[in-house]
Amino acid sequence: MKILFKISLALLFLTFANISCDDYPIDEDGLLITERSECYVSNFELLGSDYQTVRTKAAVIDTLAQTINVEVFWGTDLKKLWPQFSLVTDAKLDPKITSFVDFSDLSNPKSWTVIAGNRVVKKTYTVYITVQPKP
Amino acid sequence: MQRKYFNLIWGMALVMLFAACQEEEYALPEAKTQLQNDCIKRTIGPHVAGLNLEFVYAAALGHGQGKLTVMQVDASIAGAAGTYLEHRSFHTNASGNDVPVEIGNPSVTNGAKTEVTFTRDTVAAALRYYYMIPEEARGRTVSFTFSAKASTGETVTYSMGPYTIAKMEMKRDIVLSDNNLAYFSIADMTAYNATDAAGKAGNIDLVYLYRAITGINFNHALVAPAANADYLPGITLPSGVNKDAKVSRTWALRDQHLARLQYGIFVDDIDFEQLNISDAPNYAINLRAESGAWVETADGKYRAYIYVNSVNNNARTMTISIKRYQVH
Repeated sequence: MKILFKISLALLFLTFANISCDDYPIDEDGLLITERSECYVSNFELLGSDYQTVRTKAAVIDTLAQTINVEVFWGTDLKKLWPQFSLVTDAKLDPKITSFVDFSDLSNPKSWTVIAGNRVVKKTYTVYITVQPKP
Repeated sequence: MQRKYFNLIWGMALVMLFAACQEEEYALPEAKTQLQNDCIKRTIGPHVAGLNLEFVYAAALGHGQGKLTVMQVDASIAGAAGTYLEHRSFHTNASGNDVPVEIGNPSVTNGAKTEVTFTRDTVAAALRYYYMIPEEARGRTVSFTFSAKASTGETVTYSMGPYTIAKMEMKRDIVLSDNNLAYFSIADMTAYNATDAAGKAGNIDLVYLYRAITGINFNHALVAPAANADYLPGITLPSGVNKDAKVSRTWALRDQHLARLQYGIFVDDIDFEQLNISDAPNYAINLRAESGAWVETADGKYRAYIYVNSVNNNARTMTISIKRYQVH
């Protein structure tokens, strides 16, 4: 009787373990890996040291060329900007943005890679910054 | 063996069940009749020299037992002019207004001791105490001993503190004006005109200017004299005015001491101690009312937070308030 009970319990455990692994795989960040292959940036924001936008107008995102062009106000401190990417569902960004980024070297634009929900498709976007000209 | 433990557990459970269910008859609590006291501190935020520390001290004794005769406060450091203990006890009426009831003579301050002598029969009173933080308390701690005496001969005391008084200094409502009082010194926390600035060139850290330039947002600006001339359009610096500074613009940091608005935000010593704006530029343009800027002088001696109280485009002025911390 005891043996039967133990066997049933072990089978039940294995069944649950099998179900959870098959349906919800997770990546190294603990995020769900899904079947989505879409891989693009839907919106882009750029904040200054005062956490206010420094864009003069909406950023131009070219999903084919994988570029983001953004013009910032004249006088913006380019050494301390916080880029914010809005991505398609389930996608993630690499490297992660955890603090202000130095954009002052305009000849070497910064790049980030968007990784699709299936973690297979990857596209690298380059952010080009121009400063509003002084009249 | 197992049965023994089983019985023991059941026995304990039964005891607890009966103990928990035992009813206790309610009895109205009897008020204490002896002299007693309590105190609260009303001031929040860092304690800055030149500002008040406000307390409310209450004392009471049973009705018919006697009356209050004296209330007093002893501070470990004598308060500055303006320190007093209210001689009126306040209560709130139905409209929510404070209604004062005079209970004695205005307080008398002698050194660190402030005292109110009661002249009306009073068995309970809550008096407000305003301690004007003196300059000598800066960077030190201050404690208070509140006490009350009754006609019964009883005395009660209540200790408050110690409270650390901030090292930082503060000055409010400094008016900067374009082309006049445009040269600001962090060391002096004062704005100078060009003539006076030339005589204090070594102390001038920032230049205030207002420019309405079509196509860009320049407007009201604080710029270090050493900044690129692009950020000082139309400015001819007085002789010797050439210092640099780090300036980092902020938004929504409405320090309550400086802004006197409803926001419970305070810049304190620790903010200056941990401030790192080594990579900040030497200018802040397009400053608006309720914005601000962290500033560090070129020699690293002072760190400051400048809050913009108001701007006036027509008069080309900006009113600022400042908290300043001496690093070394």
